[in-house]
Amino acid sequence: MNFIKRGFLGITRKKGKSLILLAVILILGSLISGAISIQQATSNVEKSVKERLGAAATLELDWEEYDKLSEEEMMNVELENIGVDLIKQIGGLSYVKYYDYSVSTMLGSESLEAYRGEMEEDFIHEGPSMDFTLKGINYAPVLDFEEQKGKLVDGRVFTQEEVDNGTSVAVISKKLAEKNNLNVGDTFTFVNVVYTYDEETGEEDIAASRDVVLEVIGLFESQFIKEDAETASDGGMMDWMDMDYQNTVYVPNEIVLNENKYQFEEYMKTDEEYAEMMEGEEEASFEYYTPMFVLNSPEDSEAFEEEVLPLLPDYYTVVSATDQYDSIAGPMESMSKLSKYVLIAAVIATVLITGLVVLLFLRDRKRELGIYLSLGESRGRVVGQILIEVMVVAFIGITLSLFSGNFIASQVSDTMMKADNNTSNEDVYYYSELQINLTTDDVMDSYEVSLNSSYILVFYGIGLLTILISTVIPLVYIVRLNPKKILM
Amino acid sequence: MILEAKDLNYYYQDGEQRRYILKDTSVSFEKGKFYTILGQSGSGKTTLLSLLSALDSPHSGEVLFNQEDIKKIGYEKYRRNNIGIIFQNYNLIPTFTAVENVLIPMSITENELPEDSKTVAYNLLDYIGIVKNKADRPVNKLSGGEQQRVAIARALATNVELILADEPTGNLDEEMEQEIIDIFKKLAHEHGKCVIVVTHSNEIALQSDQAFLLKKGVLASYE
Repeated sequence: MNFIKRGFLGITRKKGKSLILLAVILILGSLISGAISIQQATSNVEKSVKERLGAAATLELDWEEYDKLSEEEMMNVELENIGVDLIKQIGGLSYVKYYDYSVSTMLGSESLEAYRGEMEEDFIHEGPSMDFTLKGINYAPVLDFEEQKGKLVDGRVFTQEEVDNGTSVAVISKKLAEKNNLNVGDTFTFVNVVYTYDEETGEEDIAASRDVVLEVIGLFESQFIKEDAETASDGGMMDWMDMDYQNTVYVPNEIVLNENKYQFEEYMKTDEEYAEMMEGEEEASFEYYTPMFVLNSPEDSEAFEEEVLPLLPDYYTVVSATDQYDSIAGPMESMSKLSKYVLIAAVIATVLITGLVVLLFLRDRKRELGIYLSLGESRGRVVGQILIEVMVVAFIGITLSLFSGNFIASQVSDTMMKADNNTSNEDVYYYSELQINLTTDDVMDSYEVSLNSSYILVFYGIGLLTILISTVIPLVYIVRLNPKKILM
Repeated sequence: MILEAKDLNYYYQDGEQRRYILKDTSVSFEKGKFYTILGQSGSGKTTLLSLLSALDSPHSGEVLFNQEDIKKIGYEKYRRNNIGIIFQNYNLIPTFTAVENVLIPMSITENELPEDSKTVAYNLLDYIGIVKNKADRPVNKLSGGEQQRVAIARALATNVELILADEPTGNLDEEMEQEIIDIFKKLAHEHGKCVIVVTHSNEIALQSDQAFLLKKGVLASYE
């Protein structure tokens, strides 16, 4: 009849009290368990969505700040370009895995047909159009391929030498190549056309043009769009994005810079007013680089932003892929907040109510504790006996509430997300330099209330600790007395 | 001498005044004798027994068990290994059976006991007058006299030499009272135990080998 056996006998001999304690723990435990389930599910969503969003960051004009200016202030503000030196300085930060900076331009072609996807019939072909995006790169392995936006399926990427010398080589999409019967090693031609515009007649005339001949060194397939096109509810938007990417041609930055310079110079010849205005401008005025930094992890975004912001010229800001999470995870955030409040309230209620129940439970047992002490039992073993009684019941209650809480959480969050999503505006699609095409639905789809080991551990930890504290405090208060005082 | 109290003082602090329950009380007890401590209600006899049984500690003075200060032995250890206590209201664990109640101190003590403790417990109960079918009943299903017998069996279970009882017959009728007193006499005279009983009954005091009277905190021999 040692204290362990007495503890277990205490549970079975006092069935009514044990059941009451079990019911209290089950009800409060379900609340805690439900709240932790939702917390874990939302934090998992945040993590997985942020991973999907990637660890990329870029520098953009801070339109919010800029829009705050008055019209007069806007006229006087001189916006600086982001220079290569600054990009290189930021690229050297420890958070950056690799980075690139590119210039882009749009060109047309007479010999090359643009890829139209499903929308072939919607287009009327008339002479050279500006269908192709020449995306300059400085990072030879191509950052988009490293980030799985695209995948090289044939040929090779650039060499650093080609990038540095501005060699006329290009990596194009496989679909564009197939449409135009191009293979690795073939050449194709773009036309860089400079138009003049007659304001009176509204007619356009070709002022100058030159051919840009490029050799295909590699073919890529789109990865990013393909994945989502199957599941996306808005196929039209995805098709546009897909089409745009298939018509993107990767070339060294130098090629784009040369073509931009040609356009700039030829245009100035046709427009004297413009030429006067631009007199004395540096070449850098058409060297507008879009930097892209890939960080080591999405979690580095905040620290990276903190370090970079002071280095930027006025009215520029850091835009991270993970910033988009806040915009698309509205229902998730509100649920996470609610579950946090429920969790805090449930833990406080559990400590108070369980403490009270255990206190009443112990008040009945006070005499019994005194008897054990009068027989010479050690205080530790007396505490141990009662802890066994309470903790065994608590363990059963917590185990049951693990499942009931999880079930409740799943039902509650389903209802809440449906309600929240029905009242929110239409899905917002994001399309920027960061090429993020996640929607609120995607975020909601990745939400799943499930039992995983970390959740189970956290729940047992919080649950058992709460019960332990509520038991030990009144228990220690009683057994610190001498037996005579307890028995009196 | 098995037990000795030396200059025990116990008081309640009432503002700046001390209200003494025991004042410089000294007394000694031998094995094989049945002692009674007689006194009116509130005379301090239960307090004295609490100090002798280490349920409470004196403000000054000492209690010696076999010439050793019980404070040095350790109050818990002293209660666990050296004494058996019997209370007026039995103080049994109501959800346990009679035999389980007897088994409790056997699992707590460090004294050497026979291996088959359950048989020992049944035999003890039988010796005290509780037959097996009653020994397996929860104690709250037994009569007052039977419960006190279980309490006596529990006090004897750890094979101690010193039995301390606080008004053990206070809740019993006269016939049952005599039966319990006879058990105490038998324990002292036949088994060589020292039995100290606190009572307010003259009849019990007259049957003891030596009686003490406690009056206003002062202990004296009672003839």
